[in-house]
This record gives sequence, C-alpha cells and structure tokens, in this order.
Amino acid sequence: MARVRLKDLRGLNAAVVHPSDTDGKVIVEQLNRIGCRTSLIWPPEKSVPAGMDVIFAGVFFDSSEELKAMLRKADKPGPTIIGVVDYENPAMLELLLDIEAHSATSKPVSSFGMLTTLVVAREAWRRDSEAQTRIARLEKKLTGQKVIFKAKSILMDMHRMSELDAHKTLRQQAMAKRTSIEEMAQAIINASELLSAKPRDV
Amino acid sequence: MAVAVDGALAGSVGLGYPSNVTDFPKRARPTGVSNELRDSLMAASKAPVTIGFLFSTTGVTSVIETAQRNAALLAFEEINAQGGLLGREVRLAGEDTGSDPARFRSEANRLLSEERVDALFGCYMSSTRKAVLPAVEASRSMLFYPTHYEGFEYAQGCIYSGAAPNQNARWLADYMTETYGARYFFIGSNYVFPYELNRIMRDLLSNRDADVVDEVYIPLDPSDDDIDRAIQRIRDKGPVIVFSTIVGTGAVKFFRAYDRAGFDRTTAPIGSVTIGEPEMQAMGKEAAIGHVKAAPYFSVIRSKANTRFVAAYRDRFGPDMPLCAESEAAYFQVKLFAEAVRRVETTDRDTLLRILPTFSYEAPQGPVRVDEITHHTSLWPRVAVVGDSGEFEIVREAPAAVAPAPYLVELDDPVDFSVGSLKRSEIV
Repeated sequence: MARVRLKDLRGLNAAVVHPSDTDGKVIVEQLNRIGCRTSLIWPPEKSVPAGMDVIFAGVFFDSSEELKAMLRKADKPGPTIIGVVDYENPAMLELLLDIEAHSATSKPVSSFGMLTTLVVAREAWRRDSEAQTRIARLEKKLTGQKVIFKAKSILMDMHRMSELDAHKTLRQQAMAKRTSIEEMAQAIINASELLSAKPRDV
Repeated sequence: MAVAVDGALAGSVGLGYPSNVTDFPKRARPTGVSNELRDSLMAASKAPVTIGFLFSTTGVTSVIETAQRNAALLAFEEINAQGGLLGREVRLAGEDTGSDPARFRSEANRLLSEERVDALFGCYMSSTRKAVLPAVEASRSMLFYPTHYEGFEYAQGCIYSGAAPNQNARWLADYMTETYGARYFFIGSNYVFPYELNRIMRDLLSNRDADVVDEVYIPLDPSDDDIDRAIQRIRDKGPVIVFSTIVGTGAVKFFRAYDRAGFDRTTAPIGSVTIGEPEMQAMGKEAAIGHVKAAPYFSVIRSKANTRFVAAYRDRFGPDMPLCAESEAAYFQVKLFAEAVRRVETTDRDTLLRILPTFSYEAPQGPVRVDEITHHTSLWPRVAVVGDSGEFEIVREAPAAVAPAPYLVELDDPVDFSVGSLKRSEIV
C-alpha cells in the first residue's frame, strides 16, 4: 500500500473524545475545516463507534480506565489514535502509551499543527496496520514451513526416502486430495502421532 | 559580597537595595543620577508597578491558599514600606479564585487585560497553574508559582519557587524507609499531582527495598464515606506506613479519621510533602502528632531571616496564624520579583528573566536562587516530624541548597544534578 494521501484525509470519520470545552471545540472545528466528518464524544463510550477512522482522545487521570476500555473495543483494524494531553510528566506519558497512540497533541490546542499531527498519525497507523498484516502472513507461512518440515521427516523416516522424494510425495498427496501442502503435512503428523501412540500414553 | 544587615526593613534604608541579597556575579550599580531626581522622573512618566494575586479564599484548598496570600501580602506591604518600586507605591489586584481552574483562568485574564498587572503570583494545584499559563504566555507576562509540584514543566514566563520532587520526595523516602519500615500505602486526591508524585515515590521506595501494598485515589472534595472506605482499606492491609498526597480539606478529614481509627503513629505515621502548619491547625493537634513532612521550610527554622519573617508575619496577622513552606515561598518570590525590578528598573519580562538567576536572596529557609535553565529554584530540603507539642521538629536538613531537577525521571539516577547549587562560601 502506498503512503497516506493527503486527499484521503477528507471524508475520514473522526471522533473527538474530549469534554466540550475550548480545547475540544478547537479540535472539532479544525477537523471540520480539514474535511473530516467529526463528532464530539464525552464521556468515553463503551466501545468505538463502527466505521471510525480517527480518534482524538483527551487523556485524563480520572477517566483513563474508561478511555482504555473504549479504545480496546474497536473493529479491526482499529482507528488511528491521537492523544490530547495537558501534562508532560511520566505518569501522563505512560497513559498515552497505554492507549497505544499513534501521535499526540498538547494543550492548549491550536488549530495550527493539527493537520501535521493528523498526517503523521495516519501514516504511522498505516505503516503499523501494513506491518501487522505482513507479520500475520509471515507467521502463518513460518508455521506452515515447520509443519511441512516435520511431515517430511516422518515420511523420510518411515519410508527411508530422500528429502526430495518426501517433498514430492507430500505435494502429490496434497494435489490428489485437493488440499494445501500445509494441511496435508498436518494430516500426516496427526496420523503418525495416532499410529505411534502406545496404550500407556492414552 | 554584600553584607547582610537585618533590620533594613525598619525604614532607614528607604529606596536602597535590600541587604539580604548576594550578587552572582557582582554587578555595578547605576550611578550618575541622584535617587530623588530619578524617582521623580519615573513617577511622572510611569504607571505604578501592579502585581496580581491568584489565591483562593474559598473552596477545597482555601486554607493553604489563604496562608500563601497572607505571606505574599506581607511581602507586598514590606516593599511599599521601603518606598515601593520604580519610585512609586506598588499596586495590588486580585480577587478570590475559589479553588477552581476555570475561575483562575478568568481572573488571570482579567488581571492581565483590565488591571494590566506586571506579574502574577499564586496558584496551588497544578490544574490551576495550567489554567493560567496560556494567558500569561500570550500576554508575555510572568507567573510566580509558590507551590511544590510534580515537575516536568517549563514555561518561559513562569518562575517556580516551590520544591521539585528531587527537593522533597527523595528526602522523605530516605527518612521514612530508614526510620519506619518497608510497607507503604499510597492515598491521594484524584488529580495530576498525586499520580505523578506516587509514580516517583514508588520508584524511590522500590530502590530502598520497600513495597507499595496499595494505591488509592479519593475525590478532591471527599465525602465521609470516601474517607471511611479509605481507612477501612488501610486497616485491611495490616501494618502499613501511609504516604498521603491528599490536598486541602480532604487531608484535614483524612488525618482526623486516621487519628480516630487509632493507628499508632510512632510506627505507622502518615508521610507527605503537602500537609503543613495550616492544615495541622485546621485538623487539631491530636490528629497531627507523628506526621512526617519533607519541605524546604518549616516555621520552626532557627535563623535570623526566619526569626524576622515569623515575627513580622505574626505581628501582621496575629499570633495564631500558621506559616508553612508554601507561604514562605509565596513571600520570598514577591521579594525576588521586587529585587529584580529594582536592579533593572523596569518590569519588562525578558529583562527580568535575565536578571533573576544572577543573584541569590536570603529567604527565611536560607539563600535561594532561580535557576537560569529551568526557572525553578535552588532550595534547602528538610524533613520534620510533628512532636507531642503539636509542632514540627526538624529531623534532617540538607547541608547546602539543592538545585532543582524538574525533569528527572529517576530520582536515584547517579547523574550529578548539583550544578548550580549554592555553596556556603558564596553566601554572606
């Protein structure tokens, strides 16, 4: 996926989870200028509304648990999260890390700088989502490789065949059964474990 | 070095420079024009210096803020008794701020725009300081903040004259772990200061092989039920030492309830960096005995500067009016401002900010100086315990002023942050 396009920011669904004070209003107004469909939410709700792309989250000590609970409950992939903080001490920064923010902005909020924050956060979110997808794919592939390797060694052991022959056998079996080579390999492992089980193992 | 002459305030010195000041480095005084001529020229051309007070006389922190206001008022009156600033009497403005951030914000705006104050003094809770600072910065004015707080802040126009955590919490942790034991119960008011200070304290205690068995927050204005539940929770934890970051009237209620519950405060005291003489007077002697506090100032300090300060304060506000670290800071920061204005003969903020770190002032706690980099202040950490008389007894004292380190994440980090601290030899 290419990097974030500025024109994509228009039409994003944004929620500002913040009291309706000066800071909250400045954020809503600026997001509207940028062209996001924006709503103000306060206090934090039980979950992130469906289809939400971006959340500006006011981070406060006395509502941090509610905020965390809300952000945990979101459709995959979760929204881009931008923390809004008014203190810079470590306890506050830990809260910011707890909500897994992609970027942050500080109070008093000014309309200048919000677009920058939004772009950086959106790009960080995109890279993160892309990396997550890639990691999931690679993990699946890696697990598959392990299974194939184990199945091959069972075949090599059982039939005294070379690795190349074991691989061929595995592939032919998978094609004959119209299944993936990973599933075939898993079936061989399962069968082997079943057959080699001794009564005392049961 | 200037020679300290106590009694300069008696009036004989007039417009001269106050004596409890040491130069870093020594600067030439402006000469050439007689004082009288200069003063009359200024009086004709300039509006009086106006200072704005931001203190609450109502609301949850009114007890401590009234004590701060009194001390600042004493400093203001002393300055005028000495002839004022820039040749005219100093003017004072500022209404009650009700312990409420929104009211602090609107009063600061009013003082800056309508009263045209040259500098603001006050704020207790961090939330009120945060509410005021944007207006101070927008009008390029100054806020002198007289309260210890959690650190991690720098605003160009703010001078922080209360303790940073390295000037109080660290000293408390040392004393408590060496004296009482290793099981701690944290209780605080539900706002920013207690959260950050507890984080710092947790680190400090853990480095001293002590445990925190529970951490509880109660509302800023707690009900009796909130207090009762907290006391029960402490009881349930077995023998613990309490570290309290409750502020204001909540603290008075809590100390009383802790006393009624019968905890032995020789083994299970409450330690804090917040609760001092005014709150102790409000809660009564019985509830205060055994309380441990770390702060740069206690009214029982024996020094010439403090003896004079305590006498002047009692003379002005009555023998029963309590004095505490927060009020001493409120006092000396008005004096610091006045001394800076005298030196540069202007109230221009940038000029004042340049001159402030160049001299030390003989405050009641000892000589203090504003740090050029952080705008916090070098102070004298102390630990005191309330004795059977109901008065603080100082049990530990820093041998020299300790430089502020408001951005120190790990207070036990062996990084040397003493750069800029005062050496005894530099002070007269």
